[in-house]
Amino acid sequence: MPKNAIEVDHLFKTYADGTTAVDDVSFRIPEGTCFGFLGPNGAGKTTLMKMLFGMVRRDCRKETHVSVFGFDPARNELAIKHLSGVVPQDDNLDAEMNVSANLLIYSKFYGLPSKETRLRIAELLDFMELKEKSESKVNDLSGGMKRRLVIARALLNKPRLLILDEPTTGLDPQVRQVIWDKARSLKKEGVTILLTTHYMEEAYQIADSIIIMDKGKRVIEGSPRELLSKGIESWVLEVLDPETMGASGETFSEGCLSPGVRREDGNSRSQFFSDHPETLRELASRLPSGATHVRPTNLEDLFLRATGRQLNEMQ
Amino acid sequence: MKCNRLYPSLASRLGSVWYRHFRTYTKDIVSNGFPPFMEPLIFLAGMGLGMARYVPNFVGMSYLQFLATGLVMTSAMFTASFECTFGTFIRLEFDKIYDGMLAAPLSVANVVVGEAIWAGTKGAFFSFAVLVIISAFGIVNFFTALLTPIVGFLTGLLFAAIALLMTSFVKNINHFNFYFTGLLSPMFMFCGTIFPITNLPKSLQIVAELLPLTHPVRLGRVVVMASGWKYSLLLDLFYMVCVTSIVLFLAVRRLEHRMVK
Repeated sequence: MPKNAIEVDHLFKTYADGTTAVDDVSFRIPEGTCFGFLGPNGAGKTTLMKMLFGMVRRDCRKETHVSVFGFDPARNELAIKHLSGVVPQDDNLDAEMNVSANLLIYSKFYGLPSKETRLRIAELLDFMELKEKSESKVNDLSGGMKRRLVIARALLNKPRLLILDEPTTGLDPQVRQVIWDKARSLKKEGVTILLTTHYMEEAYQIADSIIIMDKGKRVIEGSPRELLSKGIESWVLEVLDPETMGASGETFSEGCLSPGVRREDGNSRSQFFSDHPETLRELASRLPSGATHVRPTNLEDLFLRATGRQLNEMQ
Repeated sequence: MKCNRLYPSLASRLGSVWYRHFRTYTKDIVSNGFPPFMEPLIFLAGMGLGMARYVPNFVGMSYLQFLATGLVMTSAMFTASFECTFGTFIRLEFDKIYDGMLAAPLSVANVVVGEAIWAGTKGAFFSFAVLVIISAFGIVNFFTALLTPIVGFLTGLLFAAIALLMTSFVKNINHFNFYFTGLLSPMFMFCGTIFPITNLPKSLQIVAELLPLTHPVRLGRVVVMASGWKYSLLLDLFYMVCVTSIVLFLAVRRLEHRMVK
């Protein structure tokens, strides 16, 4: 059995203002795998991650046990941070300094010797495809470049654990692909990756295992593929404008549907879920063509099902 | 310092924080190096040409010497105060520099103390700049005053500690106005920079003795003049060391709660 990089049992966090951000979460992350936390904004993902390297203090409870490479963040945050690289949600680069100076200054925090550092910086700029930008000012970089620079910064110390907090939020599809590609190659080198995201696609692309969180609690856990096959029907019929169901709307009500079809309404659309696409196609044929759409379900459907459709007050 | 296998040594961590500030400051060395030399030049030109000739010699030196030797430490006070109020606040709240630093193997205490040491370094540099100007004008002897940057460093550290404690309370950047106008400006006037505190009424003299600027100014003046040594200066030094340690400790405690929720 592979060794666990991270072990967390019964983790809680209540902030000073009384909000409970993390509510009894437990998980294990084997070394060299990518573990994703999914959830709407305010689900407690970032808080949970920050507790792992001591940026947020966890609630003091007897049953809580946290270990990152055998270290407890409450007692040995520096040892954990020395083994980890963190890509925070906001790019907190030194805007006054250029690209290579940002990396050089940060390397000092790890106590890296200057000579070794120069090689490492060149290597990382190459890896993150920023070589031409090494003398550019941070403020002249695009959003995607800044993000890649923050990732390069997190890799300076050759971390065994890489913490990615929403690494591709707000980036264009090409940059996202590049970042996912880098994450996969790091995983191949044996780096453990902890990811938070609200993109299902992202979790599907790089995570071996995911936890869906909502309101600080773990909702479901498993590999993305397994969750899809067990957590939700395989197909969905979407009716984007429920009005088109018109007078026959009645016949589409829950009681009249064939067995195994589940109806859900929300966000001004109706959805019919089933494991059998033929059943859904038959249902669709009773509606005007063009008003419906039958497709396989994806993690997004699962996510919405698991976390509920209503926006919470933090979103 | 012993090499630690788990993470860099304390000296290396404090040094790395210092290095970050050093690189950012020296990046604009021309614009950042301009004020420490120009400010005393302007002040002394005005005072020397205008004011000083009306003031007779007192307390064993010319009035220009009195002003110039006081200015050495107020310059260190102001630079450390700006660095650790507005500077720290912007790094904390707007640029989120500390969030980045705290993701590396640094603790809040490392970041805060490293910052204070940097402000002390700026204090040393600013006091040295004033020394260069006033000795160039022949007001004091440069070579007998070479201990000045050390007192400048301690002065910077003292006011960095106080400024950091202020910053730990401040939620709105404009509130620093209360600190600058309410405490630093009166100290500049009444702590022995412009005139000896013995000119104050007895009760106000006691207040002046309690205020932090009085001590570095008294110690600094002797060090710059290289004369007037007396044992009671050890009390000034003792005051500075004690207040710096206690206030810095409190600042770290409070900023820990602000940076780590």
